[in-house]
Amino acid sequence: MTGPSLLVVVQRYGDVPGGAEAHARSVVQRLAPHFAIEVATTNSTDYLTWKGDLTAGLDRVDGVTVRRFPVERPRAWNFKVYERRAFRSPHTLDDERAFIDAQGPYAPELLEFLFKRGREYDHALFFTYIYYPTVLGLPLVPERAVLVPTAHEESAIGLAAYKPVFHGPRAIAYNTEEERRMVWRRFRNERVSNEIVGVGIDVPAERNATRFREKHGISGAYLLYVGRIGVSKGSRELFANYQSWRASDPAHDVSLVLVGDTEIAVPKTSGIVHLGRLSEQDKWDALAGCAAFVMPSLLESLSLVTLEAWAAGRPVIVDARSPVLAGMTRRAGAGLAYRGVAEFAEICELLLDRPELGDRLGLAGAEFVARTYTWPRVVETYLDLFAEVRARLAA
Amino acid sequence: MRILVVVQRYGPEVVGGSESHARVVAQRLAMVNEVEIATTNALDYWSWAPHFAVGESMDGPIRVRRFAVTGLRSTTFKENERHVLFEPHALAEEQGWLAMQGPHAPGLLEFLRREGQAYDAILFYTYIYEPTAAGLPLVPERAALISTAHDEEPLRLVPYRVLFQLPRAFGFLTPEERALVHARFRNEHIPSEVLGIGLDAPPWHDSEPFRERYAPRGPLVLYLGQVSEGKAVDELLADWMAYRDLGGAGSLVLAGTARMPLPKRDDIVALGRVSDEDKYALLEAADALVLPSHLESLGIVLLEAWQVGTPCLVSAKNKVTTGQVGRANGGASYGPGGFATALGAVLGRRDELGASGRAYVERECTWPAFDARLEQLVDLVAN
Repeated sequence: MTGPSLLVVVQRYGDVPGGAEAHARSVVQRLAPHFAIEVATTNSTDYLTWKGDLTAGLDRVDGVTVRRFPVERPRAWNFKVYERRAFRSPHTLDDERAFIDAQGPYAPELLEFLFKRGREYDHALFFTYIYYPTVLGLPLVPERAVLVPTAHEESAIGLAAYKPVFHGPRAIAYNTEEERRMVWRRFRNERVSNEIVGVGIDVPAERNATRFREKHGISGAYLLYVGRIGVSKGSRELFANYQSWRASDPAHDVSLVLVGDTEIAVPKTSGIVHLGRLSEQDKWDALAGCAAFVMPSLLESLSLVTLEAWAAGRPVIVDARSPVLAGMTRRAGAGLAYRGVAEFAEICELLLDRPELGDRLGLAGAEFVARTYTWPRVVETYLDLFAEVRARLAA
Repeated sequence: MRILVVVQRYGPEVVGGSESHARVVAQRLAMVNEVEIATTNALDYWSWAPHFAVGESMDGPIRVRRFAVTGLRSTTFKENERHVLFEPHALAEEQGWLAMQGPHAPGLLEFLRREGQAYDAILFYTYIYEPTAAGLPLVPERAALISTAHDEEPLRLVPYRVLFQLPRAFGFLTPEERALVHARFRNEHIPSEVLGIGLDAPPWHDSEPFRERYAPRGPLVLYLGQVSEGKAVDELLADWMAYRDLGGAGSLVLAGTARMPLPKRDDIVALGRVSDEDKYALLEAADALVLPSHLESLGIVLLEAWQVGTPCLVSAKNKVTTGQVGRANGGASYGPGGFATALGAVLGRRDELGASGRAYVERECTWPAFDARLEQLVDLVAN
């Protein structure tokens, strides 16, 4: 493909887990027809260790050239120490710099590439504000950079080191209204061109809940969670909330179905079913049949799977403390948010007792997704952002 | 409003264009705002040796916070500089150049990170030094950059790529500086204000003695400033001698510290440094002021000449001074080989060009006009 050139920079790329990484790949696939596109990333697939498990050098993914730069040291084994030093008050600028390096992925050759050759590309699109490739790479090509921050409230975003990342790029592609509001409040960077972009949701034509139930032996009503099962995803709270509700209300027969890789042990309680990773079709079949989709994570910039649950016409149950999820759910009118275990139980009972309410919320969710998170709209918004960047560079 | 001015050196005894501008701005702003300075304890820019006491002091109503420079400028700085400017090198070397150039004052940066949000606006002076290049990125949401940029090699270095995208507003000294920065960084979308400068009325002075001394020999052409090759005085001398060889009359008077050898001739007079009164007496007595320098960021001496109605002759190699002369219609610029002709033209219209220059200064360089531009800049940042 000829046309303007675009370099996409992201910490991991290819067949790797991670919401931001999947986001980056789907955007690359959709933008590939419009740009001479390349990806600059690392040779790691694992964000906990950043071990270089792929070959550094040129690679191809989905027909797109991928430049993999070596991670020169794994994530510091005592990374938590660096984290504590940088997040405590008071701390120093050196603490912040050490944290950025220790967090990784430490790939100085990627920076060297951006330094020497970044300006050969018309555009650079950086995914995820927090990691080394973006925080140190974006300032090397700010005049052609667009940032997809995938930001949420967390300690790191308070560091001064991130200010240039949010003030320096030519444009910012936020995932949600909530994310943009949070970033504006923190950084006062309203003057940087921006749009709510996010991703598009591809909904398969056919979704079959019965097929899912038969294949996995699920009977009766079920709540569904899809995603990484770990502490940072709020899985512990989900287990505790579910168990406590079931103990206090044995009348409702409902299971909790978990789909995804585990980082922590899943309790062997009756009613909790862990299915591991599923195929795309399996996932959509599972979504179609759930009484509600539960997303307990507090730290989401954009929950793809929540959008997918809505696209499948199902309501979602979210933690009211998650500004993005609770805000989107309220705007979409497509689910309910809980504060604490009692409200969690109440919401579950309500949705189980009144299935027509769940259907109505789910329908509102499907409409919300169709309004904002479709590929034609996402691609068009990116094209507009890049055209603006190009016009400024050429002026 | 609480306003902080960040500048590499500060004080009445500090010599330097951007430093003087910073102090003038601080003093003007302090008349209606609470103004503080964050600077270093250095007096000179080649060693950054400690001179002032670290800590807080007052400069009139202005609170000055001085932070220690840790380490003097490296003795190999010039070699390292040549390496990053002209030879293939790695990113880290280019990034390291900043700390090596100095003044490296980590306390100042920590202060900005910790206390920056206590100020409504922070004005950073001179893009090139570390207090600005590493300090502004810590407080971009409230920063104005008064870059005092020239078309020079370091402007291409990597720390400045993002620096020029970050401030909320720019203060430029001249329209030429603005054009340079916009062309280099494509950052036209960041609002800016051309500040220029304000000037006090000239002190009492008497130009008669100089007139009496030089008029009998023909036109008095004055150069005022450091007498050095860096200021292209060597080129001026060559141009002057060529002008004399073609039959031109008059004297070339050089007022300023001499840092280069000068030919021994009756028509070239070196006065050394002169008092402020003598400076204005000379400017008024002169038939033309000549400024051959290629690297002036404002050319205050042109404005001072116009204050007393004297036209100016500037090198066409300097876009800034050429632009100033054009805007004021207060003289002429000359290219290679064109000195004698341009001088003749200026001398022929001395009073007319001088009057036009004077009108320009009276319009643009009064304190109320300067204060209005400054207020505009602060408003861009603070809102």
